[in-house]
Amino acid sequence: MVDRAEAPAPLIRQPGIGALLLSWLRSPGVLNATPVLIFFLIGFVGPLVIVLAFSFTPERTFDLGAGFTTENYEHIFTESYYISFIWSFALAGLTVLCNLMIGYPIAYGLSKLFGRWAAPVMLVLVIPLFVSENVRLFGWYLFLIKGGGILAGGLKTAFGIDTGTLLYEPGTILMGMIYVYLPFTLFPIVLGLSMVPRDQVEASRDLGASRFQIFREVELPIAMPGILIGALLTFVLAVGAISEAKLLGGQNTPVIAQDIQHEFTYAQNWPLGSAISVLAIVVTGFLVVLVMRRLDLDRLLGRR
Amino acid sequence: MNEDKLLKQMVKRDPVRGAAATRRQVLQGIGAGALALGAGGALAGRARAADELTMLTWDGYVDPRVLDGFTDQYDTGIKYELHTSDPDSVNKLRAGETAIWDIINLNNPWAREMMWPEGLIVELDRARFEPYFEAMLPMFHPPYKWAMSLDNEHLLGVCQRVDTFDFVVNTDVISAEMAKDEGWDLFNNPDMAGRYGILAYDNWNIMHICMAAGLHPFKMKSDDEVATFEEAARRLINGAKMVSDDFVAVNLAVINDEIDMYFGGGTYSISAARLDGLTNLYHVVPRSGPADGKGGINWIELSSVVNNPDLHPKAFDWMEYILQPDTSYAVATAGGFLLPVGQMSQPELLAKFTAEELDSFQWDEFDYRISHSVEYDVVPDYNRLYDIYTAARREKS
Repeated sequence: MVDRAEAPAPLIRQPGIGALLLSWLRSPGVLNATPVLIFFLIGFVGPLVIVLAFSFTPERTFDLGAGFTTENYEHIFTESYYISFIWSFALAGLTVLCNLMIGYPIAYGLSKLFGRWAAPVMLVLVIPLFVSENVRLFGWYLFLIKGGGILAGGLKTAFGIDTGTLLYEPGTILMGMIYVYLPFTLFPIVLGLSMVPRDQVEASRDLGASRFQIFREVELPIAMPGILIGALLTFVLAVGAISEAKLLGGQNTPVIAQDIQHEFTYAQNWPLGSAISVLAIVVTGFLVVLVMRRLDLDRLLGRR
Repeated sequence: MNEDKLLKQMVKRDPVRGAAATRRQVLQGIGAGALALGAGGALAGRARAADELTMLTWDGYVDPRVLDGFTDQYDTGIKYELHTSDPDSVNKLRAGETAIWDIINLNNPWAREMMWPEGLIVELDRARFEPYFEAMLPMFHPPYKWAMSLDNEHLLGVCQRVDTFDFVVNTDVISAEMAKDEGWDLFNNPDMAGRYGILAYDNWNIMHICMAAGLHPFKMKSDDEVATFEEAARRLINGAKMVSDDFVAVNLAVINDEIDMYFGGGTYSISAARLDGLTNLYHVVPRSGPADGKGGINWIELSSVVNNPDLHPKAFDWMEYILQPDTSYAVATAGGFLLPVGQMSQPELLAKFTAEELDSFQWDEFDYRISHSVEYDVVPDYNRLYDIYTAARREKS
């Protein structure tokens, strides 16, 4: 009898890293994903690499081989670009907050209360998206402008009330951003709230939970992934907003996108424009990662 | 001396020029790879069809009457892209889009001082095109400075739309004569703070701030003069009620009494509104100013042929086509912008305009405007002034 425990282990040759990589590359999953991966590299990673590379070239050069410098970043930190960053992030944060407060009740109605009216209400909310953002904002401009504007002119004609100017203030920009980005907050919240099981709400009510307790301990936690995605989407879009500040704000409030546009056009300073873009991406990315850590996509998609 | 310095700067900017150092070669390799990844697909997608003439242009040449006329005469389609600014389009050519475009139409200094020295455009046959200049308004008689290379040897393009660009007042509030007399001091008057807007064409704003600060925009400034510019830039920007790069928005602000005048404006920004009956919008060129005694700035558009390795065979025909009287009229009235063209010396063309059209671009005082203006040129210390200007815009209080 041979003691099995003491039998010599069969010689199995362990594959090297190269072989493992080759086998991974030949796996059906990777092969099938290759076209998408190439498209992703060309369409998404490539431009980002170019922007990153330009941000380290000397100011006002148009040549990626012109040299390496960190001057553009030093310039941003020593000049007053922080003003644009503060305004952009503050306006984006306020837009998210306001849209959550406005969007949650509407989303609740759409997913729980409106019944057969939900579809028409949804349509009313979606239809403006078919019209260009600039056209919609110009509509607001005409509505709010002093003198012959629809609101000011109407109030003056009907009641003799002079509203004065309603444009060119940060509050007007915020109003425009709330209006433009509301659907981007709203629809993910609708998705989140539609995942709240009615049985669970009824069970908590039967067990004596108040309306506020149901909201805080049942609905909100279950709908949270949808709320976070809506907030995230809105925040990222709003940080890059430019039209609202240009048209409704009369460019009295500086925003990051405007600084970037200035550098790429009139200033002919691609490297500085690239550096501002990279910083904006990094700061936004950092905030997004913070939120994503709280987000469970599997749960949102109902996989567990 | 300044021209030599400028030329050296331009040569340094040449993106095609090879690099000697290894590190640069590596960086170029990375750049080329990234470009191939990121932009290759896009550029391939933008490559023109063999039978289409391609054009980077201001709005004067995209009117259907202009485009269709060329297609009818030369059996050639046209693909175009409108500029967002002069430098933006020059940058496109610098970035390698000379392979895409056949024609570029820009304001006067770019061909002579940037595109020709950088090899981005090709010359025109002087024998073929100079007779057209002889038939134009006297200011264009050949050799016309802005159509020629710096050494006065090569013809770089043909001229058409021309006018001045300074400021606009509402004549219901401020009389045109008073505005001409006061000139840029109207904006320096503390009582006018909050009563004017700025049409934010940044490069023009810098020239106009120089004028308001009592400085010649096209001469190099001393440190003291730069400090004067900064003081004026901050004061003028802080005093503006609104800033917009959309002239419709600024005109609306005037019409609706938000503001009484705007900084940076001309017949380009008001002619369509004036044709609609809003003749109280009025373009003002000051009677005097700091630029050799003049306070106005005169721009001239120049169409040039791009140094495209695969140039469309009809590119030079386009240059002749746009100078025909019918085309000139279509260009002068294109897309609702009504502007004078250099060919208006020809009675056949002048007769095509109605009295209202001529009044829309204040044709009656065209000679006054030109004679009280200096020609648009490169601002020699533009980068330094632009940084001050953008800082003032960011820090606007």
